[in-house]
Amino acid sequence: MGKIAVLTNDLQGDVVYLTPERTAVIADAQPHYTAFLDEMRRRGHTVYHLQLINLPDDPNANRKADGTLPLQRGTEGAEILPAFLADGDVVVEKNKDSGFYETEMHDLLQAAGVDTVVVTGLQTQICVQTTAADAFFRGYNVWVPSDCVVSDNPADRDRSLTWLSGYCATVADSSEILETLDTKGELPRRVVKTLP
Amino acid sequence: MASSVTDPDEVVLDHGSGAKLSHELVSLIVDTLGDVYIGEMEDSAMLSIPAGRIAMTTDSFVVDPPFFGNGDIGKIAVCGTVNDLAVVGARPLYLTLGMILETGLPISRLLQVVTSIREMALEAGVQIVCGDTKVVRKGEVDQIYLNTAGIGVFERAPLRMRDVRPGDRVILSGSIGNHTVHLLSIREGLGFEQRVLSDCAPLNGLLDELLASTGEGAVHSVRDVTRGGLAAVLHEYAQASGLTIRVDQDRLPIQFETVMATDMLGINAIHAANEGCLCLFVAPEAEQEVLAALRSHRYGREAVAIGEVTADAEPVVLMRDGDGRDSVIEELQGSELPRLC
Repeated sequence: MGKIAVLTNDLQGDVVYLTPERTAVIADAQPHYTAFLDEMRRRGHTVYHLQLINLPDDPNANRKADGTLPLQRGTEGAEILPAFLADGDVVVEKNKDSGFYETEMHDLLQAAGVDTVVVTGLQTQICVQTTAADAFFRGYNVWVPSDCVVSDNPADRDRSLTWLSGYCATVADSSEILETLDTKGELPRRVVKTLP
Repeated sequence: MASSVTDPDEVVLDHGSGAKLSHELVSLIVDTLGDVYIGEMEDSAMLSIPAGRIAMTTDSFVVDPPFFGNGDIGKIAVCGTVNDLAVVGARPLYLTLGMILETGLPISRLLQVVTSIREMALEAGVQIVCGDTKVVRKGEVDQIYLNTAGIGVFERAPLRMRDVRPGDRVILSGSIGNHTVHLLSIREGLGFEQRVLSDCAPLNGLLDELLASTGEGAVHSVRDVTRGGLAAVLHEYAQASGLTIRVDQDRLPIQFETVMATDMLGINAIHAANEGCLCLFVAPEAEQEVLAALRSHRYGREAVAIGEVTADAEPVVLMRDGDGRDSVIEELQGSELPRLC
């Protein structure tokens, strides 16, 4: 049986504090989100933080209203927020939406013997969704705790969770995930038919 | 001071000046094209063309990104031009090649494009007869833009939209949507780019074999499904014929991962651009013969009949769902997905 890893997406100041709506939804989620991360760590599952870094020559990177590029390597706004970080966590740089796109993520997970990923963070309909899909394509068993993913717009989050559940992931509340681990000792892989 | 085209190893403004560096760059391009290039470095190409009717087309290429998982802008340029000639029934012969290069483009990247052009030209059996190279300042183009013109000859009757008839079957030579999903995935790093590849391919060989092996009059008209996607092609034919065209939703060939991606992105695969897919209108009695011929070629293995031209004299496109309900496919006013070719 492979190991389980928890992946977070974009828990960085430049992302979280971009809009008041986003700051508010993260604040709402933070107590149970950090509690879930702590409990997973306690059970021996490593937390990998995907850190979005914009490359200066990326024409598709989102710029601020004044034209400057946020999320630059080494800046405070690009750091993982301390409230979500703990000893033993691993920070992995990414430069695009998916945490697997030209990153070390897959190699790190393979080296660690991971076959199941629990994908969390923000925004649900962008980085969480693409990271989960990419993980699925690479053969991982993908779970998404519905209360540990956020979006500015709740409708975007709900639509994304429906998509994830329909195509490639098991979507469940974080407490259900912990209960499943308690009762079954694993997170069962759902059967997904990929060919018509 | 620079002493050769690869020193500096990136494109500079002097590469487009018409002076020594220009000549060296052109020589490098010509050397890389090898025997695919038959120009004589005169101001015009002088060509021998068989007597009779010719086909001529032109296209510009600004694809973003210009380098993608299984191809690049050079591959798209040759395939796009060749396919435009082939679908009207012509045999592609000659291509021109215009390049607009951004200062700072690595020479190695330029040669990668030229190598793709050579490989695709060899596969399609066409030759590059003349070209032009211009260099602009940083930011004035995105790495490299191309322009082509193509000339073909007719060795059989031309294929025209006006030859479509009520009852014609509508056939696709392959899956739709993959080229668009591949490029969008690379632009944003969406995770689909390794599972969904561009379908870019030269289809003149496929069409040549098809038309040679099927009876005269079996294939009435052909169009390559590029910008605007299948929906745009069907609307063009509906307008040209004045007839209703109906396709079956369940028969549309769309790869599972492409369904996932288009659903995620909120786009419909029937509006997505392709670079290696044909839409054919064939006589009903020839449907199976055409499908068999297409499926025997590597670029037509997934060929499938998706619908028909009805006798209803109203120029609309209908999609029939699994429950037999028809809905109108509206023609898009514009595209939210620029620079796919």
